[in-house]
Order: sequence, then C-alpha cells, then structure tokens
Amino acid sequence: MRRLLTIVSICLYLFLYAPIVVVILFSFNDNPHGASWTGFTAHWYMKLVRNPDILQAFKNTLWLGGISTFISTILGTLLGIGLNRYNFRGKRWLTSSLYFPVAIPDIIMAVALMLFYGIARQMSGVFDLGMTTMILGHITFQIPFVAIVVRARLSGLDPALEEAAQDLGANAWQIFWRINLPLLTPGILAGALLAFTLSLDDFIVSFFTTGPGATTLPIYIYSSVKRGITPEINAVSSLMIVASISLVLLLTLLDKKSLGSFSK
Amino acid sequence: MVNNMMNINKCSRIPVALLVFCGSILWYCLSWEIKAAANAQLNLFIWSEYIDPAVVRQFEANYACKIVIDLYEDEASMLAKIQSGGASLYDIVVPPNYLVPILVRQDMLAPLRHVNLPNLVNLEEEFQKAPYDPGNQYTVAYFWGAIGIYARKIPGQLLEPTWATIFDPAKQAGSFCLLDVSRDTIGAALQYRGFKINSIDAKQLQDVRNIVIAAKKRSLGFDNSVGGRNKVLNKTAALAMVYSSDAARGMKNDAGTFFILPKEGTQIYVDNLAILAKAPHRDLAEKFINFLLDPKIAAQQANYVQAATPNKAAKAYLKAEDLNNPSIYPPIEIRSKMEYLQDLGTRSRIYDEIWTQIKVR
Repeated sequence: MRRLLTIVSICLYLFLYAPIVVVILFSFNDNPHGASWTGFTAHWYMKLVRNPDILQAFKNTLWLGGISTFISTILGTLLGIGLNRYNFRGKRWLTSSLYFPVAIPDIIMAVALMLFYGIARQMSGVFDLGMTTMILGHITFQIPFVAIVVRARLSGLDPALEEAAQDLGANAWQIFWRINLPLLTPGILAGALLAFTLSLDDFIVSFFTTGPGATTLPIYIYSSVKRGITPEINAVSSLMIVASISLVLLLTLLDKKSLGSFSK
Repeated sequence: MVNNMMNINKCSRIPVALLVFCGSILWYCLSWEIKAAANAQLNLFIWSEYIDPAVVRQFEANYACKIVIDLYEDEASMLAKIQSGGASLYDIVVPPNYLVPILVRQDMLAPLRHVNLPNLVNLEEEFQKAPYDPGNQYTVAYFWGAIGIYARKIPGQLLEPTWATIFDPAKQAGSFCLLDVSRDTIGAALQYRGFKINSIDAKQLQDVRNIVIAAKKRSLGFDNSVGGRNKVLNKTAALAMVYSSDAARGMKNDAGTFFILPKEGTQIYVDNLAILAKAPHRDLAEKFINFLLDPKIAAQQANYVQAATPNKAAKAYLKAEDLNNPSIYPPIEIRSKMEYLQDLGTRSRIYDEIWTQIKVR
C-alpha cells in the first residue's frame, strides 16, 4: 500500500512538473521548429549570448531587480522593525494591510498601478511609463514580503539582548550597528532574496508599467511566444528557471542558518 | 520610560536618513529618464524582426540620435499599449492596413507633412492611393504581402494554385492548417467561391460557413501563420495558410518548400509607418520615414525582412531572385485579384457569429 502511494505520488509530481523539464530539454533540441527531437546541441545558448535584444532585456531585468530589491529591502526592513517594536495608533490596520498586496491578484495590482501613473502623469507631467514606474511597481509588491520576513525574524529574537547592551552603556547607534543589524541580517538577506526572485519572475506588473526601451526578459519571452517558440526562447526560459531555483535554494539555506543560530 | 522615548527619537535619525536615501535614488532614476527622453531619440514600436539593425545604426550615425525599439507580436497588444499611455511615448508605430482607419477615426495619428517627405515619390502608385489612406495623409506603406498556401514539394506532383487544395475535398492535397484569424480564413473561402472578401451578404456567408466547417473537420485545426509554417517545415502538415513574409523565411530555411498565391484571388495586407498624434519627436520621426523611403535603404530592408517593398525605385537594387519570385512580387493577373480587408465596423458582428459557429462545430 505504501509503495503504491509512493509510485502514485511520484507519477503525479512527474506529470505536474514535466512542462518545466520539457522546456529545459527542448532548449538543447537541434530542430529549430520545435515539435520533434532531432539531436542534441548547445547552439541556442551560444546564439543567445550574441543576441543584442536578449542581452538588453537581461540588463533591464537586472537593473529593475537590483534597484527595486535594494529600496524595498530598506523600506520593508524599517516597516518590519517599526511594526515589531512600537505601538502606535492604526498599527492593527497597517499590519493587516501588509497582506493586501500579497493577497490581491497581480492583474488588479498591475492595472491599478498603470491607471495611477496615468493620473500622476496628467497632473505632474512626469511619470511617463518606463523603467522608473516599473521599479516603483515592483517596490510596491516587494515591501510586504520583506517586512513579513523581517518581522518574523525579529519576533524570534530575545529583547534581553538589546536591554543588556543598553545596560552596558551602548548608545542608539551602537545598539543598531552592533546588536540589531547583525542579528537581523539573515532575515534581511532572506527578505531581499525573496524580493529579487519575485522581481525576476514578475511579468504582469512589468508588462503594464513598462515603457520604451524597458523590455525585461519575461516580457521579451511573452512577445516571442506569439511568433512560435524557438529553442532560443526555450534557452532563455531554462536560464531563468535555473536562476530562480538557485535563488530559492539559497533562501532555504539561509533560512536554515538563521534558524540555527541566535534564536531563543 | 523617559529613557525609552529618548531612545526612539535618537533612533529615528537612521530611518529618516534611509528614507531620504531611497527617495533620492528614485528621484535620480526619474530625472535620468526625463533627461534621456528629451535627447534626440526616436521611439519605434514595431513587429519583431521587421527592421534591419544595420539601417537603424546608419540612421543613428547620420542624424546623431538614438533609436529605441520596442517590439509587439500582435496588433491587439500594440493597440492596448498606445491607448493606455503609450501614445505620448512612442513616435512611430507600424499598423496593418485594416487598423489605419480605426486609428485615424480615434485621432491617434499625426498627419504627415509631405514637405518633409520628398522620398514619397518613390512609392508605387498603388500605395500612394491605397483605399485605407488615399494620398498618404497619415501613413506610408512599409512592406506588403499576401495570404497564400505554403507547402512541401512532392516529386512528380504539381500543386495547382487554387484555394480548392484546401476547401474542395476532391482536390485536397494532403493534411493542412487553417489560419486562426476569422476574417483571413472566411475571406479565403469567400474568394474560393468567387465572392468579394468584404462581403456582408448573409447568404454568401452562410454558404462559406459550411465550407469552412467541412474544411475544419478535414484539417489539422487552426493555427497562426508561423505555427502553420512550422508544421509544414517539420512535416506534420503538407500545406498551411500562411502570410507571404513568413513563407519567405521558411523557404530560406528549407528549399524543399514553396509558396503559391491562389488564382481565385487572395488578401493583400500592407504594414504602414505612421506617426502618433502625441509623438514626442515628430520631426525626427518624419526624417526617419523619409530615410526609409530612400531606394537603397528600402532595398536593403527588403533583402533583410524578405517581404515585398512598396518602393518602386528600390526595385533596381533588389536581389534578382527575390524580384523574380512570383510569391513575393506576383504577376499582374494575380496582383489584380488581390483584395484589401475593410473595417466593417458594427457590421462585422456577422463575422463574429459565423466564426463562433465554425469554432464550436
């Protein structure tokens, strides 16, 4: 019975994740027109490196992910600390509103952002759709994830550590740099990695807030699919899958480490 | 307690500093983008693989400017993008002929100032008075093509150039794909029966509906042009309805395939250069259109894109094998039977109904 369960569940997962395996497999297919397998080649990866459009999209994706992750990590960490430490009016409301961007559908978020930038553009003359609006959009959905991770990390820390430092005469700066920040680092890093992965994978928000010259890899892949999927696109997709999975693996590694030390 | 309050006040310097820091990064991004947009830059929104990068570089060098290219794959997403704020970001778009009257009606396009376009005389006369934009008021033809049948050569068998190879069960020449675009496939069937491609006659459309339903049941199904072409290339289909520019690229990859334009008539399509009404760089955009109309540049582009150029003066510089290829530049008797799709407005509902019926049967 147990063996049967094992077999059935293996089959089930194989079926569910087969599409991902197929994409990677077909990125090595010699046949440029998909459908059938004609032989192994790494040719498409070589071609990829020489394609200026893909390289530009790759650069845009990194800029977008880098800047938005940097800013959202700072803002999200501050928010996480604030929510954990201090009591203020409206805290309950703020805490639950933290989950809004996590819970509402991406498409609604994306359309809302696009409409808002449209209004902002009419009123201020700036906020033309482009890299900056895309960065702002990504920050919007990244902040709650960072804040939630940092807050979880904080609630696992012993407040006695900070009190002890205070007792021993440390000032606010010293407490922040020597005590709080090192203790929080694994949480902040985990939040940042999560934020970067989300930015890398995001298509919908990017698609609605992008402008001239700010095509990211997911948008590039989408606009190529219509023309028939070439192995080159399979190759880009495979690289993105590998990148996302490595980031997630790094995240679990970090999580394990952060759980292992420092906790109560 | 007092001590704690002091602590908060002191600590709040750090978050304030960090917030100001974040804000200044974003402000820097925004101002950098505004500065970049004010530069001599041309924003081009175009189908993919539809412009020669060498031509782009040459224009950038000649006019000391930068061309930013964004791609789209179907006109629906292009339309959505320019209607949701893209209209004031992009300078040039490349709408197909049937979309031009719609864009003009919505005041999306800027009228072309012909003084800035001396090279307009190079266009073939037909494209100077095209039915969708007579007198080139808003658009300049960029490339044109036609819907035809793309097939694999079979030794000893000559494929008759007729829609009957698809729509007549007795003459069917193997497995085939239909185009997944209502007016393209219904239009082809209308022409097969000798009707007009823009017919709104209920009886004719009923007749054609039955033909397409019967064809669908014998076919490999509906696909887009590139999908159909790829099925012929990888030998899953014997023939497919395909746009001529896609067919040209297929034939280049595989000499065992060919393309025919049916004798009953077929649909001609023209992609056009147009300047958006709110284009930020209208002058530069007109310079670019005039540059593309230069005979040598137009010929270089045609050799790259492998589609038919509407530029008469460019023909002197075309590759002979392309110029003499009847599937790119068809002879006059086929050319005279080509029809433009017209925007039918509310009357197009009958096509939607028939298309739904075809799809569900």
